[in-house]
Amino acid sequence: MSGDTEWIAAERLAWVALSRLVEPGKRSIVAATAGGAHALLQGVLSGARDRVSRSLRARLDGVDPWARAQADIAAAARAGARAITPVDAEWPTDAFAALAPLAEAEQLDVAPPLCLWARGPLALTGAVERTISIVGARAATAYGKHVAGDIAFGLAERGWVVVSGGAYGIDGAAHRGALAGGGPTIAVLAGGVDVPYPLAHAGLLDRIAEEGLLISEVPLGESPQRHRFLSRNRLVAALGAGLVVVEAGARSGTSVTAERAHQLGRVLMAVPGAVTSGLSVGTHRLIRDFGATLVTSATDVVEEVGPIGAAEWATPAADGDPAEWDAAMPPDGARQPDRAALSPPLRAVLEAIPAGRVVTVEDVALAGRLAPTEVRRALPDLRMRGFVRAVDGGYRLTEAGLGPPTFALDRPTPPPGPTRAAESSRAAESSRAAESSRAAVRLPPRALRRASDRTTGAFRDSVQPPFRDAHLESEPDSAPASERARASGPAGRSEPARGPEPAEPRDG
Amino acid sequence: MAGFARALAVGLHGVHGRVVEVEAHLAQGLPGLVITGLPDAAVVQARDRVRAAVLNSGQRWPDQRITVGLGPAWLPKHGTNFDLAVAAAILVASGAAPMVSLDGLVLIGELGLDGRIRAVRGVFPAVAAGAKVGLRRYVVPVGNWSEAALVPGVDVVGRRTLRGVLALLRGEEPPADDDAAEPPAAPAAGHPSGRGAGDLADVAGQEIGRRAVEVAAAGGHHLALFGPPGAGKTMLAERLPGVLPPLGDEAAVEVTAVHSVAGVLPAGRGLVREAPYQAPHHTATVAALVGGGSGLARPGAVSLAHHGVLFLDESPEFSPRALDALRQPVECGEVVLARSGGAVRYPARVQLVLAANPCPCASAAGDRACTCTPTARRRYLGRISGPLLDRIDLRVMLLPVASAALYADLDRPETTEVVADRVRGARLAGAERWGHHGWTSNAAVPGPALRAEWRLSRAITGAAARAVDSGELSARGYDRVLRIAWTLADLAGRSAPDPGDVNEALELRRGLVTA
Repeated sequence: MSGDTEWIAAERLAWVALSRLVEPGKRSIVAATAGGAHALLQGVLSGARDRVSRSLRARLDGVDPWARAQADIAAAARAGARAITPVDAEWPTDAFAALAPLAEAEQLDVAPPLCLWARGPLALTGAVERTISIVGARAATAYGKHVAGDIAFGLAERGWVVVSGGAYGIDGAAHRGALAGGGPTIAVLAGGVDVPYPLAHAGLLDRIAEEGLLISEVPLGESPQRHRFLSRNRLVAALGAGLVVVEAGARSGTSVTAERAHQLGRVLMAVPGAVTSGLSVGTHRLIRDFGATLVTSATDVVEEVGPIGAAEWATPAADGDPAEWDAAMPPDGARQPDRAALSPPLRAVLEAIPAGRVVTVEDVALAGRLAPTEVRRALPDLRMRGFVRAVDGGYRLTEAGLGPPTFALDRPTPPPGPTRAAESSRAAESSRAAESSRAAVRLPPRALRRASDRTTGAFRDSVQPPFRDAHLESEPDSAPASERARASGPAGRSEPARGPEPAEPRDG
Repeated sequence: MAGFARALAVGLHGVHGRVVEVEAHLAQGLPGLVITGLPDAAVVQARDRVRAAVLNSGQRWPDQRITVGLGPAWLPKHGTNFDLAVAAAILVASGAAPMVSLDGLVLIGELGLDGRIRAVRGVFPAVAAGAKVGLRRYVVPVGNWSEAALVPGVDVVGRRTLRGVLALLRGEEPPADDDAAEPPAAPAAGHPSGRGAGDLADVAGQEIGRRAVEVAAAGGHHLALFGPPGAGKTMLAERLPGVLPPLGDEAAVEVTAVHSVAGVLPAGRGLVREAPYQAPHHTATVAALVGGGSGLARPGAVSLAHHGVLFLDESPEFSPRALDALRQPVECGEVVLARSGGAVRYPARVQLVLAANPCPCASAAGDRACTCTPTARRRYLGRISGPLLDRIDLRVMLLPVASAALYADLDRPETTEVVADRVRGARLAGAERWGHHGWTSNAAVPGPALRAEWRLSRAITGAAARAVDSGELSARGYDRVLRIAWTLADLAGRSAPDPGDVNEALELRRGLVTA
């Protein structure tokens, strides 16, 4: 295990070092880092002759990349920030998964970031499960800022994390709305996370750093530059499950973000404005030409993105170690509600529910000889996992809830009394249920990654939780697809790259 | 011969008292009595009452021009409790008793024409107000003696007649019929306001109802009980005060003051220590519920239930105006009533318990036997206005009697004592957690605090968050579920809610799906 830890530490440092040598988004780096950051950097230092290595070497400029990476990490720690790399548990693999294929397919410089610098208590992994990006014009109207704030407030109240760019106008209004709604918010900055830009938002950005998260692709101290704003937009688009454009002119950076969101398969939404308003030309065009959904409130937004979120919760809401939640997940391909994954109290309640009729809490308690409180503590959970559904007057078993019985497992013996009858009727229906259960709830890949908000801050150190090591140990191809998706950068980028592009680092 | 004397009394404004100087001036002129200092009709009538009482007590009425001033003169004076002080000031001014006897003595009471002293309302807050400004000696009607004596650090004497008071002022032996040295003993025990001291264990078969009462008591949550007739809604509501923790010193003083002002304080009992219970009938008017009356408003049911339970049985039958009038007091914990005679402020921190049949047909067999159309059902509960219902944390549907009987076999009801004990522990846990913020119960915690500082992880709130996204739960409802979950955790002795608590909280709010 210690060998792995060392390997991860080296790989981590290599990602940090590389991020200094490559401008954000360069698509050539996708193929070049397919074998890992450490290998690439070793190649660069030992005189590899491919184009990427040559151009990286040109940018070294006589500086020891390892030492500089160490210095960057140390400087970040002093400023209360941390580096997040593809080998870190906090890395939002799923959010960035679509970037590399897009860079290849469209020949765009939208490669996934190599390293993110983060400042704030929010854990990125946990946060990106329920995120909405809100963007719009900097020179927004009072109407636009009001609507952006209102939507962000509503989303925060409903437990969604609002992502935006920290800029004037719509961005600022969205962040403020989210904070006012009591929810965390993420600002993706074009400069370092310790460089307040725009300066007038220094107070806002500090507040975000206290309650949410500031992230940036560039190391601390770097000033925001024009092209970095454009590459930053791909992260804003990628980090949200959906993108809400509140106001945008005919030609604007916002339209780039919208285009990226569209290309990445994110739900694209736009807020309408007056047809005479120049600042709503962009949003109206998104609705007319790009299939953006017209939204006017947080409710509309959640309705649009909700199904993804709702399905996510079909995962065990277990408490404790993140590794355990993953272990409790059904294997890829068998995505019906899994009663084997239920905790014993939940399973006892499920087994007690009489089939074929609408039941109240008391009916279940009576049938299973359980305390009604126990039943109440379980039913919403069972409902969330798709075993029962709520109807007027009580609950009813779903197809998945009916069967197939798992009596062979180490289940407590079925309680005596009325449950018997219920079970026999369940057995009769089990074959029918087995067929249909295949069609039950589908989980999006995002659901495979769970982390609790309470782990906030736990990822600040570079120490890795043990379950991640296991994935890196195994051969990427032998792991199930879902595991591959999780196993971070190297595996995710192992798709055959068509003609590696030379890394031509832009100057300045 | 001119004369002058000054006595002290207390004027009440709602539950807030203010010491009033009652001055009497005797001068040459046409015999008569003038009262100045913004008296209301009742105070002006003191003129005739006092004269008759003085004469019927065997005293001489000064045939002079008498001016009585009630100061501060700008403060409106109400009621009959200045009679005794006016009589005393006139008698002393005419030389019937030494001037020094009135020094620092506060006189409160209404005079009968025969010289008897009648009990008045609001003596407890009046004496408390006097004590606050350092006045120690009081003469009050015998009927108010025990409540006045509840104020710590004061020397109170109760008198039956004006002759008795005069003897006191002259330092003579009291008349034989008015020489009590102690307040009269309390009448034999018997619960005030007709509250049955029923035990929670009596409500067999309604586990969910008992659980809801326990949670409501532990977290200070408002409660709505839906259920067919006979399900035990009233029984449950009546038992809620018994589960609530006894009132603390401050709360007891507040409650006693309101009850004194309303004149419902039973004689011979100490401070009100049990949570009060008010169950107005559904024909109640706005004034009866929140307080009212011309001139200066009197407290209504919502103030009499301060620190206790306001139970609205058959709540859809209340007039919508009356129910909506409750919204502001329930939200702010006090009611401000503005009338021509001035605005008064009464405390009104109540725990609301609504009870309703699920529909107008109200079949005793429960919802499954309901013959109402969906529209009728919706309209029936729609009479409870959304904003009011939205403030109610717990909404539970009780079992119909038949199912309850079936279930009663399995039910092991706990006694009020056991539940109250758990509630006390939970209240302590909540107070410890929120104390430094000044929130008294889980129900009082503001939503943003629940979502920021005391945010629970997604893994815990999953089921509630999903209900929000599917539109079953409003954003406000989400906060309410969180509050209930904290209460459930407190009851179970957990430091923070777990997913099961959030689930149960959702169930305890589910009530009627249509509501």
